[in-house]
Amino acid sequence: MAEELAIKITDLWKAYGNVQALRGVNLDVKKGEIFGFLGPNGAGKTTTIRCMLDLIRPQQGSIEILNLDPQKDPVAVRSHVGYLPGELNMETNLTVEGQLRYYKDLRSNKIDWHYVHQLADRFELELRLKIKNLSKGNKQKVGVLQALMSRPQLLLLDEPTAGLDPLMQQEVYRLLREAQAEGATVFFSSHIIDEVETLAERVAIIRDGVIVEEAEPGHLANLEIRNVRVRFLEPVDVDALGRVEGVSLVSKADGNSVNLQVEGEMDRLIKALAAFPVADLEIDHPSLEEIFLAYYEAQD
Amino acid sequence: MAFFGDLMAITTPKGYIDIYYFNYMTVIIGIFAVSTAASLLVKDEEEGRLDLLLAHPISRSGFFWGRLLGYVVTTLLILSVGWLSWWIPSRSTGLDLTGIELLRPFLPLLVQLLLFGFLGLLLSMILPSVRMAGMFTGALLIANYLLIGLSNINEDLKPIMNYTPLKYYQGGNAIDGLNWEWLAMLLGVTVLFVLLAWWRFHRRDIRVGGEGGWRIPMLPTRKGREASS
Repeated sequence: MAEELAIKITDLWKAYGNVQALRGVNLDVKKGEIFGFLGPNGAGKTTTIRCMLDLIRPQQGSIEILNLDPQKDPVAVRSHVGYLPGELNMETNLTVEGQLRYYKDLRSNKIDWHYVHQLADRFELELRLKIKNLSKGNKQKVGVLQALMSRPQLLLLDEPTAGLDPLMQQEVYRLLREAQAEGATVFFSSHIIDEVETLAERVAIIRDGVIVEEAEPGHLANLEIRNVRVRFLEPVDVDALGRVEGVSLVSKADGNSVNLQVEGEMDRLIKALAAFPVADLEIDHPSLEEIFLAYYEAQD
Repeated sequence: MAFFGDLMAITTPKGYIDIYYFNYMTVIIGIFAVSTAASLLVKDEEEGRLDLLLAHPISRSGFFWGRLLGYVVTTLLILSVGWLSWWIPSRSTGLDLTGIELLRPFLPLLVQLLLFGFLGLLLSMILPSVRMAGMFTGALLIANYLLIGLSNINEDLKPIMNYTPLKYYQGGNAIDGLNWEWLAMLLGVTVLFVLLAWWRFHRRDIRVGGEGGWRIPMLPTRKGREASS
C-alpha cells in the first residue's frame, strides 16, 4: 500500500511579473515525517510554502495538502495547518495573550488554552507583555507558539529558529519531535545545516525555483565544503594546491597567503601543504547557503 | 459667498443645519472615512500581518466582508453621535425639527461616506500603496466639493457636475424628504465599488509586506508565456 502523503506538489509554476519564482516544483512529503526545505535566498522556499496556503496563486501545477486542494478549499486546509511565516509581524499594541486570543478566535476558539500556557512556560514567555516590547527572539517564540497551539496535523514553518538562542532552538526541536510523535507532519525551511541534520528525516533542496535534490540529511555531509586560508612563511607558488583533487583556488590574497575552497575530506590538502612552509591555517565552515551555491556552481 | 449656495436659507432651520453642518461634514468626516477604508485590508498587508492572519481558517471573502461590516458599523456609530448632538439640544433650543426630520439628512451623508470610502478601498487594491489610494480618493473628494461650490459661481461647470457624486448630495435639504432616486443611484455605484474591491482581493496574491507595485492585471509577458509553455 502506498504511503499517505501530507503534501503533494506537482509541476508548480509561479511568476511575479517577469520574475519566474517557481519552475515546475515537484515534491512529496509523507504524513508524519519531518521534512527540511533548503535553498539559498530567493530560491523559492517561501513562495512554495505560501502557495500551499493559497496566499499566492500559482500559474500552473497542482497542490494537495492532506488530500485537499488549497485553491478549492483553503479554509479546510488552513484549519489543519499551523504556519510560521519567515517575516513575522503582529499587532504591536496587543499583549502576547491578546494576540494569541485573537488567533484563537480566528480558529473558532478550537484551542486548548491550558496547552497555550504550557507552551508559554516552556518558551519562558511572559503572556502579559506587549508585542512591541518583545525582543526579536521572543517575538519568534510567539510565532512558533501560535503555529503549535492548535495541535495541527501539518506544520509549515519558514525558518522556525531564526533569532532564537541555542537553548530555545533545542526546545523548538523537542516540541517539533513531540508534534511528530502525536502524528503531525513538519515541513520547515532552514539555512542552518546542524538544524537540518538534527531534525529532518528527509530534505529537499530548491534552487532557482526547481527542486534539484531530495535526500536524507546524511547525504548533505557529502556536500560539505570548507573555506581554507593558508598563510606561508615566504612567497610560494600556490598553483600546485589548486590541482589537488577537491581543492579549488579562490584567491591569492597576497604573495604569502591563499584562499582555497575544499570539498570533502581535508586529508589531501593537508598532505599537499606539507611541502610548503606554512605559518598559519584557518578553516572556516561556510553557511549552508554558501555550500549550496558552491556545490551548484560546480554543477553548472 | 455664493460658493456656499443660497445663503438666505440660513434663516431657516433646514438652511442653518445644511450650511453649518452637512455642507462641511462630507469633507471633514469624508477624509477620515476615505483614509480608514483605504487602510481596511491593505494596511495589514503593508505591515506584514495579513500573511499570518489569512493563514488561519478564514476565507478571504469572510475576512473582507467582516472588515467591511466593521467599517460600516463604525461609520454608523459616528453619524449616530452626530445625530444625537443635534437632536438632544434641539429639544431645548426651539429648533422646530423632529428626531426623524433631523435623521433624514444623515442618510445621504452616510451614502456619500460609503461611496468615497469604498472607492478608496477599491483603489487600495489597485494602486501601489494605502497612502496613494487614500491621497488620491481624498483629492477627488475635495476637488468634487470645491467644484460644486465653484459651479454656484460659474454656470459652465454645472454640466460637468452631473457626473460627480456630490451633485447628488442633498445635505440639509433632506430634512424635507429624501430623494430616493439619487440615493439608489449612489448606492448602486457604492455596491459596484465594493464588489470590484472584493473581486480584486479574492483573486490577487497576498504580499509578505511593504508597498506593492501597480496591481493592474497585465498581459502575460513573453518570458511568462515561455515559462508556462
